[in-house]
Amino acid sequence: MKKLAVKCGAIAAALLVAGQLWAHHGAGIYDRAQSVTVTGAVTQFEFVNPHVLIYIATMDADGREVEWSGELTSPNRLARSMNGVKWHKDLLAPGDIVTLIGNPARNGAPALLLNRVLDGDGNVLTGTGR
Amino acid sequence: MADRRFRLVSPSVLLLAALLGFGVPRAPAQSPSGDAQAEESQRAAGHGADLRGVWNNNPPEAALPFQIDSWSAEPPKFTAWGQGRFDAAKPSRGPRGVPVAETDDPVYACFPPGTPRIYLHPFPMEIVQTPGRVLMVFEYDHLIRQIYTDGREHRTDLAPMWMGDSIGRWDGETLIVETSNFNDKTWLDRTGVPHSEELRVTERIRLVDADNLQIDITMEDPIALAEPWHAQRFFRRTDWTIEEFSCMDNVNFLDYESEILEFDE
Repeated sequence: MKKLAVKCGAIAAALLVAGQLWAHHGAGIYDRAQSVTVTGAVTQFEFVNPHVLIYIATMDADGREVEWSGELTSPNRLARSMNGVKWHKDLLAPGDIVTLIGNPARNGAPALLLNRVLDGDGNVLTGTGR
Repeated sequence: MADRRFRLVSPSVLLLAALLGFGVPRAPAQSPSGDAQAEESQRAAGHGADLRGVWNNNPPEAALPFQIDSWSAEPPKFTAWGQGRFDAAKPSRGPRGVPVAETDDPVYACFPPGTPRIYLHPFPMEIVQTPGRVLMVFEYDHLIRQIYTDGREHRTDLAPMWMGDSIGRWDGETLIVETSNFNDKTWLDRTGVPHSEELRVTERIRLVDADNLQIDITMEDPIALAEPWHAQRFFRRTDWTIEEFSCMDNVNFLDYESEILEFDE
């Protein structure tokens, strides 16, 4: 995926300092040492327990549409503005441009354990996945 | 929180408020005035404290590496039995975590987490006090712990329980809670630490200040643990309400996780 920006070093170190040394769902799903950034238009926004899910449509370098998804924490936590913007069930609509930043699936699936979500203007919607 | 400020208001102001027709300010979900009076006289006698509020986990920095999953950075010292059960467990979290679809963690089958593991689940809890009981209402799966403070003993008639049976007594302003009568179907934490039906949990619950609550926990189990396991949990007062989180929603999440696992590049 040529559009992916893989950032190690500073971001990985920041995650360690933030106390996320241990994998949320175990080592089998996400690679906590890697960070991926994808931008696209929202196709689905599921503001549900146990994890809020965001799906976006992106285009890879070969012009194929790839749907990326990202998981966040419980909507209860996001609605309490622990991380800045107070989330709600209508925050994102299909077509909204968002940037998802998170740890990718180990097996190459287009899925992220989200650490940060930005809106179309680059504003932070949430700064941490937990 | 309004109730807390109420205690600092002078009697003359209260009299004026009453004369003007204003009700006595109450915190939300306040018990009737009879209960408040009983608690006031209890406190006047030097027993008890007002622990009411919606509390959220507020870990100290040193605990950050482990506190979301366990009580210490390393597992406790086990007996041979305990070590065997720990080694065989397949937790979804921690350094040997497996995907949720493969875990044998009872929480993912939506069984109650047990005590004190319930504190590890990252959702707030509300303390409600009535005469004779302190209730902990957990947002996680709407679990309720009833801590009886009316002097009763542990149950001897009922079979072992998921959350155990809790009795409490006040030592000044500290609530000392003893919980026993556990079944052995829960884990002590989220990394797979086991326990037997002999588990006894002691908690000392107190306000550090008006906005901070501390719980000192001791877990003792001669069958599973070679020595007592000590832990601390710190909570900060919030202005939140307890919302809904149903464990059964994890069932939907399993589908999402399965799709990821089945991806074939």
